Amino acid sequence: MRTRVLLIEDDERIRTAMRMALEHEGHKVEEAASGEEGLGVFADQPVDVVLIDLMLPGVDGFEVCRSLRRTSDVPIIMVTARADSHDVVAGLEAGADDYLTKPFVPKELSARIRALMRRARSGPPAPSRLTFGQIEVLPEEGVTRRAGEEVHLTRTEFELLCELAANPNRVLGREELLERVWGYDYFGDGRLVDVHVRRLRTKVEDDPAEPRHIVTIRGMGYKLVP
Amino acid sequence: MTASDPATGVTGRRDRSGEGRRRSRPRLGLRTRVTAAFALGALGLALLLSLLTYTLSSTYLLRQREASALRQAFVNARFIQAGLRAADPDVPELLGDLETPATSESLLERRGERFASNPVEVGYDDLPDGLRDRVAGGTAARQRFRLAGSPRLAVGVPLPAVQASYYEVFSLAELDRTLRVLTGSLAAGAVVTVLLGVALGRWVSGQAVRPLTDAGRAARSISHGRLDTRLDPDPDPDLRVLSVAFNDMVDALEQRIERDARFASDVSHELRSPLTTLTTAVELLHARRAELPAPAAESVDLLRVEVERFQRMVLDLLEISRMDAGEAELALEEVRPEELVRQAVRAAAADPPDGPPQEVAVDDQVAGLVVQADKRRLVRVVANLVDNAERHGGGLAGVSLIRAGDHIRILVDDAGPGVPEAYRRRIFERFSRAPAAAGARRDGGGVGLGLALAAEHVHLHGGEIWVEDRPGGGARFVVELPAAPR
Repeated sequence: MRTRVLLIEDDERIRTAMRMALEHEGHKVEEAASGEEGLGVFADQPVDVVLIDLMLPGVDGFEVCRSLRRTSDVPIIMVTARADSHDVVAGLEAGADDYLTKPFVPKELSARIRALMRRARSGPPAPSRLTFGQIEVLPEEGVTRRAGEEVHLTRTEFELLCELAANPNRVLGREELLERVWGYDYFGDGRLVDVHVRRLRTKVEDDPAEPRHIVTIRGMGYKLVP
Repeated sequence: MTASDPATGVTGRRDRSGEGRRRSRPRLGLRTRVTAAFALGALGLALLLSLLTYTLSSTYLLRQREASALRQAFVNARFIQAGLRAADPDVPELLGDLETPATSESLLERRGERFASNPVEVGYDDLPDGLRDRVAGGTAARQRFRLAGSPRLAVGVPLPAVQASYYEVFSLAELDRTLRVLTGSLAAGAVVTVLLGVALGRWVSGQAVRPLTDAGRAARSISHGRLDTRLDPDPDPDLRVLSVAFNDMVDALEQRIERDARFASDVSHELRSPLTTLTTAVELLHARRAELPAPAAESVDLLRVEVERFQRMVLDLLEISRMDAGEAELALEEVRPEELVRQAVRAAAADPPDGPPQEVAVDDQVAGLVVQADKRRLVRVVANLVDNAERHGGGLAGVSLIRAGDHIRILVDDAGPGVPEAYRRRIFERFSRAPAAAGARRDGGGVGLGLALAAEHVHLHGGEIWVEDRPGGGARFVVELPAAPR
């Protein structure tokens, strides 16, 4: 099955080059030149991955991210100009799963897409039911419940939660989580983990500012306390 | 050498340090000097006024006292003379009848006989000789003298008609006490005046220096990055010049920094987009290389290498321009140096994947060590050094990690001819070109920004980087980093 990619990028030449590279990798590509157009295309036909340039005229990439997140848990990769700017954290907080810095090589792009797709298609082999506090996680069905009510998580958030819940009381380092959830090697960006943990806390913790279950172990990583 | 302009007092920045060191005598601060000047002025004024007051009042009081003493002495002398004219006068009774206050006593000498009023404190012999001589000579006289430590005034009146001399001795102890109290008050006044002078000097100099203190505080705040700091316009029109000029300067500075930062970010965006297109298109061409005729395929290879180099250069340029703009911030996290170096070497060596991966020799004292570092930057440093060894140093000869006191050292050795002494510093400058002998270069280009950037990253960590000879030939690049968090 071919991966369908929605490519939202205002620079026509980059868009064309990226489309050709993605098609060369065997993906099916839908193009959009603006945020509005991208949201329209997304509403018309389902895609597997969305690539969003953060610097878009009109509705910017952050807003597109947030709009998509209101209705969908589709994996989102944002494309930014600078890795050390606040754009990365802002984009991740807007709901993106991963990011790429321009200029990137096509290899990086397809590696990111592959990693997201691998996760999207094959859930982690874990116990069929994990619980802590009022939270119940069903890895095979992709369902999370809090006090019996279903909580909506993106796929990355869900996998992160599964990874943490499957290893209760064990400290998982950022690198370990990057490797297991994002498929990164040592060069991954720890902020990916931090922002996703923050997002996850707002959905499963009673008080996200004082987390009781997903706790930070300074200088080491994160730990799930049942 | 002082580049100080005597007209404006503006000092060139070059001699900032030399100037300070050359001045061996420590200078008092402006405020201290102003305060001292005020104190000295107040002291001088107080002394002058006190002296004047004392002189005038003591002279006046003394004159008053003398006048009344004279008056009394002459009245008493006349009375005595009248009494002595009588036949067979009783002299002691006569003296006892005198109306004298307790502070004076009378002495009488008549034809060699001496009489004194009671009680006798002052004897006839105590009288100053000069006075007695003059009275004996027939003139009335007065003289001040001290007896048993207390000041006295003696008035002598010759009474030739009855062949006698009349003396009256007045105690000036009260006047003396009055003058002492006056002296005390004046001294206290002087002390208070000096203290007031000090306080006034302190306040005035504080007022005068305040705009400078404010400006200094604002400048410090600005240098710490708070560019929106401004001085309140001074209400004093004389001082407003400073605050207005200062604010203008900061405005200009802020605009310039913003312009530079905008330029860097504009350039970044402008270059990134075409580069993304270029790399993507070239990769695509490369992937279809087999379908191209031989010359076209070769062109694509050439293009691909150059685009890659171009991309690296642009990324380095952007990174270094961010450092120049002071925007670089360390994203510190706990890092195992051992792991970091291994990963960086693996990644850098993987670019041209020829030969087995390079082993990293790790000292026992570094194994398992955790340091605070910016992972991305340190990986870049090691990767740049490995890349440099591969490109310019005749190939990577070894990477090791050792402990040196409070520091850890990353050693990257190459198999080239080494770097001549004269170029060991210059090699870390931007776009430096080591001489042909320093490295057999395959691409003929300069070292570019790789080493300069590595040095910037290392310095940002509070570490050092240098190049030395490797034992057994070749160059050894050393990165020294503090093992403990700064």
